[in-house]
Amino acid sequence: MTIETGAPKTITGHGPNPFIIAVLVMLVAALVQATLVSRIRFLGACPNLILVMVVSWALLKGVLTALPIAFVAGLFFDLLAGLPLGVSSLGLMATTFLAGLGTRRVFASNVLWPAFIVALATPVYAFFVLTVLQFTGLKVDWAEMAVQVVAPELVLNVLLTLVVYPTMRGVMQVRH
Amino acid sequence: MSRLSNRTLVFYILAAVGIALLVLSTSGFLAPVEGVMNQAARPFLITFSGIGRQAGNIATSLKELRTLRSTNRQLQTIVDTLTIDNLRLTEVETENQRLRELLRFAQLNPIYDVRGGQVVARVINKGPSNYLNSITIDLGSDHGIEAGMPVVTERGLVGRILKVGPRTSSVLLITDPSSGVQAMIQRSRELGVVNGQAGELPVMDYIPQGGDVTAGDVVITSGLGGNFPKNLVIGQVVEVNQKDYDMFQQGILRPTVDFDRLEFVLVITNFQPLPGQTDDPEPVG
Repeated sequence: MTIETGAPKTITGHGPNPFIIAVLVMLVAALVQATLVSRIRFLGACPNLILVMVVSWALLKGVLTALPIAFVAGLFFDLLAGLPLGVSSLGLMATTFLAGLGTRRVFASNVLWPAFIVALATPVYAFFVLTVLQFTGLKVDWAEMAVQVVAPELVLNVLLTLVVYPTMRGVMQVRH
Repeated sequence: MSRLSNRTLVFYILAAVGIALLVLSTSGFLAPVEGVMNQAARPFLITFSGIGRQAGNIATSLKELRTLRSTNRQLQTIVDTLTIDNLRLTEVETENQRLRELLRFAQLNPIYDVRGGQVVARVINKGPSNYLNSITIDLGSDHGIEAGMPVVTERGLVGRILKVGPRTSSVLLITDPSSGVQAMIQRSRELGVVNGQAGELPVMDYIPQGGDVTAGDVVITSGLGGNFPKNLVIGQVVEVNQKDYDMFQQGILRPTVDFDRLEFVLVITNFQPLPGQTDDPEPVG
């Protein structure tokens, strides 16, 4: 087992609990994903705002902070998407760990690294969700899904990261 | 002796909880909790959906503005033609009135195989996941909704109920790759199975070689398998893929239902499978 020192500290100071704020933010994000972002279609797929936010959170605040947020955000998403409860949580937590690989490499102004991590995280998340859907009895055509859904979603998620990541970084800097 | 890092420990704990939730959810034990959560989210979903619809309308209007001027000129020409046609149609109206009375008889004695009641449901959420083409409606088990019930609009087949909560339900659309509907060509009665395709138009598979199918044919449910009522319109064939070395032909369909603009749907609540046929909610495909 590896020995690690943990992630950077969470937001400190007086005011509301940062975790509660994060949960509320992810709740709103899940609602926005379900009702607004899902209308943005490119080659039949829509971007995944939750995935992009969770990965950005992990890169900006560390994996330890992002893991519970990924878990809760996944539950919100599953409830709204009609997916079995827990599937998105597991998928998002896996992507959070993936983001942890690059936490220390992120430079303050570099947005390409988060975009790269999101590009890696998208198929990882898809693998988790599709595996569980297959276990629940739904027919899954892996090759077709990879080409027709995961590939366009990956493009959209990368583009969305170029907007979401700098925005989240700016907001977190202001809060500091 | 190695030591677990904080984040690995948190990951293991949350993953264990996640897997436990997954098992409980897929086995249906969490249905009441999911129902309560969905109920709580319902007003927000309705509000956000309204905002989304408005935003969509504005985007559509802006797009339409570009072509508005040329369309206006074309419409003016059409108006002139229609004015003349209108005079002719006034005469036809009298004849139409008599035909309507005959049609009313047909409506009161339908050959349509929907033998159950229908309830109107509002679409409150369009599936946000790319991996499951579904919608959420504002009716659930409290309203008599059950898994497997067919969902339609006046334009045709939408899908079937996949998951039911007390006040909301998920509908698996016919465009989902895991969906399969027993179907037939209305004109030639050729049988096949309509399967959804990821990111593409659905296809009608398993049409026999030599079967009579052409672009423009209307595809309806065949009623075989007992999962859907007979004669519900699914879509129109836009292209036929026929290769001599294949066992079957394939027709690409454009569904009659506009899945991007679904607002209200009908759930057929007491459709009964035909005798001797399976009532398994998972369609053949």
